[in-house]
Amino acid sequence: MGEILQYLLTGLSLGGIYALVALGFYIMWEASKAANFTHGDVYMFGAVLTVVLVEKGLPVLLAAPIAIAAAAVIGALVERLLVRPFNKEPNAIGWMLTTIAAGIMIESMATITYGPLGRPLPSPLAEQPIRFGGAGIYPQEMLLPIAAVAAMFGLEAFYRRTTLGRAMRAVAFNRTTAGLMGINPNRIALIAFALAAAIGALAGILIAPVVQAMPAMGTLIGLKAFGVAIVAGIANARGVVVVGICYGVIEKFIEGYISSGARNAVGFTLMILALLLFPQGIFGRREVVKV
Amino acid sequence: MIWNFLRSTSRAPAVLAGTALVLSLSIAPANAQKAEPCIAGSWELTGALAHTGLAIKMGIDAAVDEINEAGGVLGQKLRVIAYDDQGEPSRAVDNARRIGERDNCIIMIGGYRTPNALAIRTVLNEIGQPWMGVISAGTRVIEWESGKNEWMFRVSAKDRWVAPFLVDHALQRTKAKKIGFMFEATGWGQGAVPDVEAAAKAKGTALVGKETFNIADQDMSAQLIRLRDAGADTLIFYTVDRETDAILRSMDRIGYKPTIVSAWGIGVQLGKTAGPLTEGVLVHGTFAWTGQLSPRAQKVWERIKAKEKLKDPSELVLPSGTANAYDAVYIIAEALKIAGAYDKKKLRDAFYQVKYEGIIANYDPAFEKTVERHDAILPAHYKLLAYHKGILLPVAQTPHALRF
Repeated sequence: MGEILQYLLTGLSLGGIYALVALGFYIMWEASKAANFTHGDVYMFGAVLTVVLVEKGLPVLLAAPIAIAAAAVIGALVERLLVRPFNKEPNAIGWMLTTIAAGIMIESMATITYGPLGRPLPSPLAEQPIRFGGAGIYPQEMLLPIAAVAAMFGLEAFYRRTTLGRAMRAVAFNRTTAGLMGINPNRIALIAFALAAAIGALAGILIAPVVQAMPAMGTLIGLKAFGVAIVAGIANARGVVVVGICYGVIEKFIEGYISSGARNAVGFTLMILALLLFPQGIFGRREVVKV
Repeated sequence: MIWNFLRSTSRAPAVLAGTALVLSLSIAPANAQKAEPCIAGSWELTGALAHTGLAIKMGIDAAVDEINEAGGVLGQKLRVIAYDDQGEPSRAVDNARRIGERDNCIIMIGGYRTPNALAIRTVLNEIGQPWMGVISAGTRVIEWESGKNEWMFRVSAKDRWVAPFLVDHALQRTKAKKIGFMFEATGWGQGAVPDVEAAAKAKGTALVGKETFNIADQDMSAQLIRLRDAGADTLIFYTVDRETDAILRSMDRIGYKPTIVSAWGIGVQLGKTAGPLTEGVLVHGTFAWTGQLSPRAQKVWERIKAKEKLKDPSELVLPSGTANAYDAVYIIAEALKIAGAYDKKKLRDAFYQVKYEGIIANYDPAFEKTVERHDAILPAHYKLLAYHKGILLPVAQTPHALRF
């Protein structure tokens, strides 16, 4: 019994990471119909920059917002320089190459300047685990699914209640018409990328006290979160969060009952099966394209 | 045209002499194994474990600088050449060829990773290149399956000797007499399984549990729950810093606090990232630069500190490796003096005659003519270190020494 509870708890935490990072993919896809493969690396960047600032003496409550803001700037730069110029035609895919390349470059730069080794980010919530029923979890880890759900509701409120949010929905619905209505789709895409990067960086900062911030931490997370977003049907925020959290839990159970080596093999196989059953994603809707 | 050229009598002797010279140069190398006074290594200088290559180079530089300041060896100053293999075995093979053939260095120094050392065994044998390991503790690096190892020597630990050392210390400390084993799923970790099981059997006990995990795993709760349920109160670790951090946290979550006796995959870095969770964890090593140092080791530390601009010995991230490399260079220098020439075969034969007192041990002699004894550091020289307040120290200098 203790085991099952343990896998559930750590799975919720891991799922929270996937959900937050996948939400970023969702936001960016809606605004520009492009996926940003540097997204895993802004997750890493948020953690790494916070560690560096804290080591220089800043209190973590100041370092974290600065790192999130810096990540947002990077997100905006990626949109402006690496995605927009390569996204002009309806079926353009040049942004795949540019963002994958930039992601690798960001990781290499971090390895050269920050070093390859993980460094700790102290947090009072990662010191004493809460234990019950033979299982335990650090309070810090529970912040992640909470943040993911909060981000999901926050995004919904943003999209429904604010002008900017509604403008984003308009661009997602029909880019050309939105432009005709006076909304600048390029500016919307820029803001969307910045917002997505900020959320991704937040995920990295929240988990860093538990796993140590290091340059290699982002690549696989980014890839899996992208998978999660696709399987969820990338156009649905709630679906993305639900699938993200479920995937984290499933991974932990695979680790516990089969082996940690099987985690990725079985996990990705399940993703492929899910897509075979639900080609539009589990929560996706069929896209109607008028020709 | 050439005939007209040669017909001129004044040119003929020069041409004949030139031809003779070229012919003699092309015949000579097959017999002599005269080499350059350079010490070359294929190390991981960039990439995830770049700190390991740099740590080895620090020890080598310190020794070479000292030796050159005293006039070098056999009247020549030693040079250090560093090649980067990024931890890739195939690059290590390329570098071994480059060092042995193109640079023709008198000796090649090994790096951190056992797989790389295993990969170059055939190449070294083919070229006839002396090699000195300074970490790569895998037993098979030196004790080849074929039983023939003519060129590879090592100043480092040997996994087959480390396992009994760890089992001994685990048995001294276990109250329930139940020992478990946690190892990483790599060549190093998996290679240690037969060594640890044999060592346990030799002491009349058996492991109550054996669990493995993969590199980059962040949660080992499943494995630890199984070990805890098997009753293991002491665990032997064959793991490295990053994953051990995750293991310690997983233990913290489930409230499982066994005694840990670990091979030297964990070190200074773990103390920095896991902090108080490392308190009392025991580690095998060959040397510690923290705590009380011998006068000679103190001087070496001062030299490294000045050259690398360090402040504290805890900044040496691979303390055993740096010390191994330092002693290794001096053993090579002693062997060169005995050999009397920069000749690879003479150097190799001279190794068996070296007696030398280094900072790690008194090597008396350093090597013997059995394949087992191509390892210079003996189990009697192994040290037990312990984490105390995040710093790795000789266990006697911490509250974790056993009091009898």
